[in-house]
Amino acid sequence: MMFIIIGITLCLPSAGYLIVENVRQISTKIQHEAEISIFLKEDIIQDQIDFIGMALKSSPEIKKIHFESKSVAWEKLQSKLKLSTLDIGISENPLPHGFFITLNTLSKEKINRLTGDLKVIGGVDNIVVDGSWIKKLRAFIYMIKVSLLSLGTLLVIVLIVIISNTIRLQTLTYQNEILVSKLIGATNSFIHRPFIYTGLIYGLGGGVITVSILKGMVIVFNNVAERYEYILGNSIVLVGLSSSDYLIILVSAMLIGLFSSFFSARQSIKKLENSN
Amino acid sequence: MIKFDRVFKKYPGEMDALQDINLEISSGELVFVTGPSGAGKSTLLKLISAVEKPTNGSIIFDNTNLSELQNKDMPFLRRKFGMIFQDHKLLYDRNCFENVVLPLEINDINPIDSARRVRAALNKVGLLNKEKMNPITLSGGEQQRLAIARAIVSRPSILIADEPTGNLDKSYADEIMNIFYSFQQVGVTVIVSCHELPKSPIKYKQIHLIKGQIINSDSHVPLLS
Repeated sequence: MMFIIIGITLCLPSAGYLIVENVRQISTKIQHEAEISIFLKEDIIQDQIDFIGMALKSSPEIKKIHFESKSVAWEKLQSKLKLSTLDIGISENPLPHGFFITLNTLSKEKINRLTGDLKVIGGVDNIVVDGSWIKKLRAFIYMIKVSLLSLGTLLVIVLIVIISNTIRLQTLTYQNEILVSKLIGATNSFIHRPFIYTGLIYGLGGGVITVSILKGMVIVFNNVAERYEYILGNSIVLVGLSSSDYLIILVSAMLIGLFSSFFSARQSIKKLENSN
Repeated sequence: MIKFDRVFKKYPGEMDALQDINLEISSGELVFVTGPSGAGKSTLLKLISAVEKPTNGSIIFDNTNLSELQNKDMPFLRRKFGMIFQDHKLLYDRNCFENVVLPLEINDINPIDSARRVRAALNKVGLLNKEKMNPITLSGGEQQRLAIARAIVSRPSILIADEPTGNLDKSYADEIMNIFYSFQQVGVTVIVSCHELPKSPIKYKQIHLIKGQIINSDSHVPLLS
């Protein structure tokens, strides 16, 4: 029973960590670059488009420029959606011309200054800074990690209390044996030893259950994701934690069991001696 | 071997349990500590066996001052004593063998040697055929003999028995005392507390306590010896 309690309690922050790690790994694969999409006005003329292009080329913050005409954009959209104009009931192309630029800076001030300069150019309708979402994602991941750490700490405290109480009750069960052993020459370490071993075993058992649950979660999730891949349109794979992460979970669980049992046994046995 | 020098023992909120105790016990002696209930016999034995420390004075055991002994050294001193408690203090969740083996487990004796010594101790007290039985099934005299087996299994140099025959009838009491006499004969120091002096066939010392004070401390040689 104790193994299950420890296993499930540790599983909560560990599973959260597993998900956050997966999201973090995805976010690190995304290019560390800011991108700006410049959508042009409906009635813009070619000269204005050329002028904007030259202005962009002269900007030192811009690394790459890609122009996409409205017709090309419309064709791409239809191809992606596998629809024709007749299917969606639109006779005219609603998309604007656009410049898609990649910056060589992540500095917020430079991006804001550039955006401000671009806005005042005639023919520019709307500017979308694409790189900001990745920053938001990373900030979100960091907040989740901090929350997980807080939750994990609380759960570890709960575990310590549960294990300590269990060990305390065990010392009460064995109080006659403890008192007699002390009278005939047992040292404190001799008396504490079985309780410490118990705490270690609780931790090990709980850790094994946590690791098993996490591995099971990954397998089940990936099986389900694979089955529904065609509906989602994307392959989503949950990557399990590394062997060293699992080892850390096991060792942490054992350490929690060890320290809880040691301090609880020590305190409880001292109380028994004093009361006798 | 054991020397009390102006020893006092007072419990919080109570009268002095022991007052100005001065005595010497030599190695290999048979000592009876006698006196009425409340005289301080058990307290004296607790001080000798380092279960408690004196309030004042010093107790020297083999050149070690027990009053100044650190708590971490207490267990090692207590292993030199074989303790037989007034209420036996047997463990009823263990069988007779497991009760007797406890001091050897504490001393980290290997299981093969332990088993041999436990059986020898049980044989000495006449309980070898009951090693697998739970102590709760034994008679009062047998439980006391089991307690003696546990006390002697680690081959202590001193046996301390606190009213070992208090709850037993005469035949059992004589049996127990004979076991103590046999140990004294092989050089073990035996200290026994009792209400009344038993008829000892061998030389003994008597320490008679009344209200925490030694009234007399004499050596006796039985007429028959």
